[in-house]
Amino acid sequence: MKLKFKWFLLFLTAAALVLPMIAATPVMADPLADAIAAVPQGTGPGQIDPSASAGIFGIPGAPSPGLLLCFCWAVWVGWIFSTIGAFGGVMAGVGHISIYGMGPYAKTFKDTSPAINKILTDSIRVSNQWLGGLSALVSTINYGRQKRLVTSLGIFMGIGALFATFLVVFTTAGKVSFSQYQGWFGLCVFLIFTFMVYEMSPKGQASKTAAKAAAKAFEDTVKNKGSIEGQGVKILNWSITKAEVSFFGQKFSFNPIWAFIGGFCISALASFIGVGGGFLYVPFLTSVVGLPMYVVAGTSSVAVLIGMFFSIFNFMVLKGVVVYWPMIGVELVGVFVGSMIGPRTGKYIPEKALKWLFLILAFYIGIRYTLRGFFGIPVP
Amino acid sequence: MVNGFDQFYYAIDNYIIFFYRMTGISMVDYMIGTFCFSLIAVLLGELTISLAIKVNTPYLTGLSHRMKEKETLSIKAYETGDMAGYKALNKEATDAWGRKFFAMLAHSAAILWPVPFALGWMQTRFAGIDFPIAFPFSIVTDSVGYTFSFFPIYILARIVFGKLRPHLPYFASVHRKLTEMSA
Repeated sequence: MKLKFKWFLLFLTAAALVLPMIAATPVMADPLADAIAAVPQGTGPGQIDPSASAGIFGIPGAPSPGLLLCFCWAVWVGWIFSTIGAFGGVMAGVGHISIYGMGPYAKTFKDTSPAINKILTDSIRVSNQWLGGLSALVSTINYGRQKRLVTSLGIFMGIGALFATFLVVFTTAGKVSFSQYQGWFGLCVFLIFTFMVYEMSPKGQASKTAAKAAAKAFEDTVKNKGSIEGQGVKILNWSITKAEVSFFGQKFSFNPIWAFIGGFCISALASFIGVGGGFLYVPFLTSVVGLPMYVVAGTSSVAVLIGMFFSIFNFMVLKGVVVYWPMIGVELVGVFVGSMIGPRTGKYIPEKALKWLFLILAFYIGIRYTLRGFFGIPVP
Repeated sequence: MVNGFDQFYYAIDNYIIFFYRMTGISMVDYMIGTFCFSLIAVLLGELTISLAIKVNTPYLTGLSHRMKEKETLSIKAYETGDMAGYKALNKEATDAWGRKFFAMLAHSAAILWPVPFALGWMQTRFAGIDFPIAFPFSIVTDSVGYTFSFFPIYILARIVFGKLRPHLPYFASVHRKLTEMSA
């Protein structure tokens, strides 16, 4: 695995070094500049005033979110990532859409310049993905070093992700208006809200209690009886309908077709909304495919990475979507600071209080974005 | 924010562009310059993650221990045919892993924060300049931008730095810690 991974990296490096040298004639193309030039000039909504100071992407009069605001919001995102273990990607999206003002600004071009409206919408999607994609990269490298990746499963999910991202990018890039995107983003948050409600419902709590009791009972019976031998992932055999892998000396099997379908569906949703999809990959691999944590950990990291890689590549390289790099840089610094604060402060807040806080937030964001996006109903 | 960054990029431009003027051959200069620039980004990221390691090691180690304990038990349960125990422990291990995953995800920002700033500077110099590519790669796309070449070169810089790290002062101790954490 390690050897294959190194070859993959070397191939990418060689491609980068050689490809541009094959025909090094500059080609000038800047769809954003063309779109800006086509917008009616003026000071009204949906117009661009050339004399105004440059905002994000260098657009005169565009929002220029303050450094401190971006930093503080990213600290909040990092705090959530390191404390709750979910919802960070959604909060990053809320930052790009509402807190930095990119969403309402994109919306002003609905009638005057649909092209700018859609370019900014794509940019929000890709900006969200950059935050998750960079992190998945580091995580995958770590799990690769630990030999905790099942390559065959990753490849099947990756092929699904490849098809999904191609489909999503080529059918939606430059075609989704901000309102539609906002509506779908809201519905996705509602999906997370539903998961959270189920977990907090008596049925969800009962299954959790039963699971905890079963775990405790087993722990008690095996206490102090030594460690397990024969760790490490080995692929025993695989066909189109059944693959067998072994680790800890035990055999587990999965259906590659399911892996492909899962990779396709999750990546399609993640690519469209602009999130990593980790919150769907983990339950899919544990509950639907039925794999143990040992495999789920690394494989879901690599699945997120593959989906993100293709999605970002297709959006940026094939479709020319732009992102505002300094904003992402400030966000990464903020996320890092938040991740340092999280473990030190999270323990003082009761877990139930945190869950309620996120339940309320998920409901509010879900309903606000859905109503605004699909029906134009403003919710304060 | 935008004006502040424009000024920042303007201020560092003279320094960074030095690396892009080594040979006078444009493509070679682009590769050398981007590699040196990537190496600077790698160095800054490594300095930051060393700070994170010093401060947050106990928290991450605690999560790792919990995760490993549960997953080992879950496999034992599977081995003995206790499927209810396997499922329950597997879920607990996944929960612990989820926390570690997102904590590591947030920590990875420490390594990667210089990357977007570097790309931001490259955008000021190379935005709109696409490199046409030849068959058979042209089936996928007919040209690529600066981001396409930056990432593989950045990974190459990381590999080079990774080889050098165990031998560099200060970074040698960081390397030992990182190896311990990923074990």
